Amino acid sequence: MSHSLKGPVAPLSPVLLAGMAIRPLPYGLIQPLFNKAIAQMHQQHPDVFDRLIPLGSPRFLIDPIDLPFSFIMDTRPTAPSLTLLDKQEDERTQNIQASIRGPLLLLIELLEGRIDGDALFFSRDLVVEGDTEAVLGLRNAVDGADINVHTDLLHIFGPLARPVDGAAQLAGRLFNRFSKDLNTLSKATLAPLQRKCDAQAASLAEMEDTITALKKQLRRRSGKSA
Amino acid sequence: MRTEKLELVCPAGTPAALRAAVDAGADTIYCGFRDATNARNFPGLNFSREEMGEGINYAKRHEAHVLVALNTYPEAGNPEPWHQAVLDAADLGAHALIMADVGLLDFASKHRPDTRRHLSVQASASNPDAIAYYQDRFDIKRVVLPRVLTVPEIAKLNAQINVETEVFVFGGLCVMAEGRCSLSSYATGQSPNMNGVCSPASHVRYEDKGNKLVSKLGEFTINQFRQSEAAGYPTLCKGRFVTQDKPSYLFEDPTSLNAAEFLPDLMDAGVTALKIEGRQRGKAYIAQVVAAFRKAADAAARGEPVPPLGLETITEGQRETTGAYNKRWQ
Repeated sequence: MSHSLKGPVAPLSPVLLAGMAIRPLPYGLIQPLFNKAIAQMHQQHPDVFDRLIPLGSPRFLIDPIDLPFSFIMDTRPTAPSLTLLDKQEDERTQNIQASIRGPLLLLIELLEGRIDGDALFFSRDLVVEGDTEAVLGLRNAVDGADINVHTDLLHIFGPLARPVDGAAQLAGRLFNRFSKDLNTLSKATLAPLQRKCDAQAASLAEMEDTITALKKQLRRRSGKSA
Repeated sequence: MRTEKLELVCPAGTPAALRAAVDAGADTIYCGFRDATNARNFPGLNFSREEMGEGINYAKRHEAHVLVALNTYPEAGNPEPWHQAVLDAADLGAHALIMADVGLLDFASKHRPDTRRHLSVQASASNPDAIAYYQDRFDIKRVVLPRVLTVPEIAKLNAQINVETEVFVFGGLCVMAEGRCSLSSYATGQSPNMNGVCSPASHVRYEDKGNKLVSKLGEFTINQFRQSEAAGYPTLCKGRFVTQDKPSYLFEDPTSLNAAEFLPDLMDAGVTALKIEGRQRGKAYIAQVVAAFRKAADAAARGEPVPPLGLETITEGQRETTGAYNKRWQ
């Protein structure tokens, strides 16, 4: 039985594996980190939240598809919040105006304005649903804000910012190396399947051409006989 | 007369995008205020008065110009916001105002005569008589040509007129006679000409149905994209319509204009400036496209071949067209 997947598919990446690793952790343990992160973002970039006021300060579901949890982002300037939501829970009960789904790293690049949201949408790496006006408002607000997740989050750690920065840079280098290794592994695993898919695609294209030619012939014949 | 060096006119929807355009080598940046006085009145986009002033100063420090788009048609009985926008943009130091409405052009020429006036593409002026009229009456210095002319037609036009011409070379295409399209208005009650929005986001819905992505505008389903298919903007002109039992694009495919290969021809045709579309796009798009066209324009000015730009992945529908520049239809 075929089963169609909804939305973009999570890439095989260190994020996916890290997500699996942290899955057993109780959310109560990591939620305070996100409370601080959103408070920091609000302090550093109040414009982002202000620009969303005319749209009624919407609530968003931000779904990094390679993590086991999503975020509910409340953009009210008086009480901004970023709350973890287990993907097993029904998101429809969360009173959200719009949802944004994509791989975590792409979402971060988007947040920092290093990648174009429309291009991600065209390529289907990003899927948005719900109130499109709210999504567009958020995209434009963050794009104009010059956000740098790394630098902004370092402020949370106060006097420990420097050693945390060093550790983060080391982790970043390890992440990049691991990412490349996983990419190579993924290509090697998928190569036979890819070849089979390419052959099937070529065969399908040939069949489509034949059908188009047959349809043309049929139309010509029925035109003559009419 | 042949142009020696093309001016690169680039879009900015936010102050960050303006800085990105300037830093990437734009000669000129066009942008608008955060209201219905410009044709990109999108949520969260555009400039407050304060931001516009800062943007103009930033551009001036880097020897670039800012053009302010006031290219919608004032609401009947309520021209004040447009008039105020003319006064504010000029007083903030805008290099020129881009306008389409004759009433607004008249107001600007009377109240801020020293600020240059450019004729917006929304005026859809594409023949010598129309352009001469705008020049005689409102002393326009430049006309932005509609995206319906071939390169030989542009050359012929330039030989017959006395103002600068600016042509689109990259970005979204508008297939209708610009400024006169009513498709968005028909579907949503709002139009680019009056409200500054084509297919306003408030009327757009995407539904992920698993094996297909459905886009809706108001009450209309306008497209369905298969899982592997690149998506496009939710405008009616780029909708897929069923005719003879077959869904197809009747007006226009979701695709972006890329006329980089025509830069030497456009110089020969006497074009003054190249316009990049996309005030609604992010600063990453702006930086990438402006840098690519900076290289292309500089290469053309040196008489060298235009290098490949590598912009396919950021184009609408991930496809490019040379549009009317290489018109092969009647």
